[in-house]
Amino acid sequence: MERYGTGYLEERKLVKRWPQPIPAIVALVLTLAVFYATWWIFQDPRGWMRMYTPYVGYMYTRWWLIMLIWMVYIFNYWPFKRKWLEDTHPVVKGAVLTVISVVILWVLIKGFFESLLGNYGIAYFNPGNLLKLPGMTEFFALEYASLACLMFAAIASWLSPAWVVACEEVPWQNLNQPGKGISILVATFFLSTLIFFMTMHSHMGILYYPWQYFTSIAPPYWEKFANTVSGNFHVSWIMCCTVTVWIVETIWERFPFKLIRTNWLRRVVAFFGIIAIAWAMHLFLYFAQELTWGPAIRGTRLINAPDWRWLHVGEMAVFFLVPALFITFYCGNWPKRFSLPVNVLVRTLITISAAILLYIFYYKTSHDYLGTQKGFMHEQQFPMIPTIWLINIWLVHHWFMDNWPGWKMVPKTAEEIAADHAAEKAKLAEVRWDPALGWGLGAGAVCGVAIYFITLSVLPWVYQNITVIK
Amino acid sequence: MSEDKGKISRRNFFKGAAMGVLGGTALGMGLFSYSPWRKSYFPDVKRKLADIGACKSIKVTNISETSWFDNAVLMGDIKGAGGLLVNQYSYNWPPFGDGSGLGKGSYEKGIAKIKHLLPNNLEEAWAITEKLSVSPQNAGGFAALIEIEEMDGRKRKFLLDSGWSYKWMDESFKREGIDQMLKNKEIEALFISHEHFDHYWGVPVTYKYDPTITTYIPDGFYPEGLQYLQDAGHKGKVIKIKPGLNPMIPGLATFVFAVPIICRVYGEQAIYANVKDLGLVSITGCCHFGIIQFSETAFREIKYEKDNLYGIYGGLHISPFEDWDPKYDDLVLSLGKYGFQKIGCNHCTGLMCAKKFVEAGYPVVKGTARHRTKETNYLGNGDKIGYGIEV
Repeated sequence: MERYGTGYLEERKLVKRWPQPIPAIVALVLTLAVFYATWWIFQDPRGWMRMYTPYVGYMYTRWWLIMLIWMVYIFNYWPFKRKWLEDTHPVVKGAVLTVISVVILWVLIKGFFESLLGNYGIAYFNPGNLLKLPGMTEFFALEYASLACLMFAAIASWLSPAWVVACEEVPWQNLNQPGKGISILVATFFLSTLIFFMTMHSHMGILYYPWQYFTSIAPPYWEKFANTVSGNFHVSWIMCCTVTVWIVETIWERFPFKLIRTNWLRRVVAFFGIIAIAWAMHLFLYFAQELTWGPAIRGTRLINAPDWRWLHVGEMAVFFLVPALFITFYCGNWPKRFSLPVNVLVRTLITISAAILLYIFYYKTSHDYLGTQKGFMHEQQFPMIPTIWLINIWLVHHWFMDNWPGWKMVPKTAEEIAADHAAEKAKLAEVRWDPALGWGLGAGAVCGVAIYFITLSVLPWVYQNITVIK
Repeated sequence: MSEDKGKISRRNFFKGAAMGVLGGTALGMGLFSYSPWRKSYFPDVKRKLADIGACKSIKVTNISETSWFDNAVLMGDIKGAGGLLVNQYSYNWPPFGDGSGLGKGSYEKGIAKIKHLLPNNLEEAWAITEKLSVSPQNAGGFAALIEIEEMDGRKRKFLLDSGWSYKWMDESFKREGIDQMLKNKEIEALFISHEHFDHYWGVPVTYKYDPTITTYIPDGFYPEGLQYLQDAGHKGKVIKIKPGLNPMIPGLATFVFAVPIICRVYGEQAIYANVKDLGLVSITGCCHFGIIQFSETAFREIKYEKDNLYGIYGGLHISPFEDWDPKYDDLVLSLGKYGFQKIGCNHCTGLMCAKKFVEAGYPVVKGTARHRTKETNYLGNGDKIGYGIEV
């Protein structure tokens, strides 16, 4: 039976053409070149299409990410046959699959959101319908509609991969494509819709005068807790969920959840565990901003506004995703020499350090080459656009092009696949309860709490002593 | 054998420790970061209480608050040019139109067409740029006259911004007698709030009547903006103000905020006036940093009468394009806590926002809706407002 791309990512062997770090450097240079060229063509406010309005460009960037996830993680490259995936030149494969992802993206935005939902459901998905409001300009009609679509995308970009990574595709894991893909798509899209209404709809409802009390909850229920009526509060934790899903999937190799042997329990704990970790990140990154810039003041604009601080949590979180994906895609998930928990810890520390450096580098230099302006906060500036744009290019390169040209794709033999499974089992078996593990766990937990409080003390000093923006 | 056991135990200990570190850190992050206990980490606000002196009264004349006349036209241009991050000098708006069309202009090409006519022959310069620019009829501008009465009764005048359209601003200057005041050197200085088209591009109109007037600009002007000061025919002193507080005369200070602003502009300057027995009055061009931020900054930085935030005048940059966002509601809901007693808002405050202020019961001073100002919720063109003085 045709398997399409089911298991393709696990069953492909990427053979380096040159010793490291040459392939990683080649991949980085190549993808950055593509990033900059495409940034100029599509997004840059000085460039050709200038989609960075910002919401139009932002919406397409977010939804393109989801198209890639759908094609690879949910539909397993269906309808492309396994032989085509294995035999086609990576450049041809990359071009064909990218074009298809863009076509689906266009159909989804224009067909589903704008035409179907925007004409027969909720007016704010269709700029044409928004234009009927007195005083509404074409520019903001498009921006508002794009904002609604991209808020939906934020949720979908968490739930779509979460169903695969955490829930392991249940209950459709044994179904053939496209049945499996369609089932997961419908389920995650349904859940996304539900969460959209509970988190983002009120934000859209108070965009208009008077507040739309009868169609949305206004003021929203989170107002007192979040110190804002803005939906950015939800954008924050949902973005953290997206980032956590991918960190769990890449540098954490689904650890620690995969240590749970009972299937249903592992899936439930993984799904809600990801949310719990994301919330820890969500609250900490907000606090980190309070420690550096002072407490937020409701009603202000720019850097001191709670709504922006929440949004910036999501923006900061994406900076962690960039190095995490680079380590997995181009550095073979280095290191692998220690036990699984130690490997995970080392990779996490590398990711955190790299993310901080990337954050500083971005705010120090991005205004020189992205057509944006210097400053942490600008009303129309979203670092999530360039970071996710780069991630999209990496996903295309890694998923569609097998890391060409630094690597060559060779299908694993049955023996190699069996050996992988055995190694994985051994790795899990190695982490089992033992008094030494218990002592380590306790001592580590105390150290972890201490690290947290030390970080709190150090952060204001770091901010005082490192000038990011002159 | 026992050595082997030790090795295994050590390895297991590190495995556990690695898990513990990750778990412990996450636990701390999740449980403490948004708890009330976190507030113990916030330093106490230390008020600097800088003394800027006090004045007897302050009067503001709105020369023009209508920066553009048709919002749809402006937003259509912004959309066509690529959005709110596009460099304002490339829009091909007047006076820098070069005939190449929307989003394809530049300062250099635009100014070359009119430079020889600045600042004395503005009629001809505007006639040329009208033919070469996108939407020339839509240009208006923001400018205000600030009259301050010192404690000894001496009156001093300052100009805040110089608008956009040469034609509209010249008409507005004549309507309010600003042309004569400039000619007579009654106006001491021009404060440019920021580099935006609607506040700054009409600067030759001021220089037409007083080319030597001292001009204060906020730090952060782009090279085109700095060059324009010279090309506009200015012969006086230009003082670039660094971010922070800058006392000017007793009772009057400006404050520069290093903020990135739409259409590729950076930095904005606004005014604090300390009125005897009343409190602090905030006068802003656009207030991109936000009026609450401006008030909080005043609380931290300066000493003012009765520790009272008394009045506001100007654009509050809430919904300049009649757009809306829930964060603007945060402002509407919060402003009441600051206790302002006299609010004169217009320009980029947004008509919808002014309406919400009125509905919230804030003391908004109504205008007369003359000279193309659209509604009475705005303190409109030709309207005056006084703080410590009746107008």
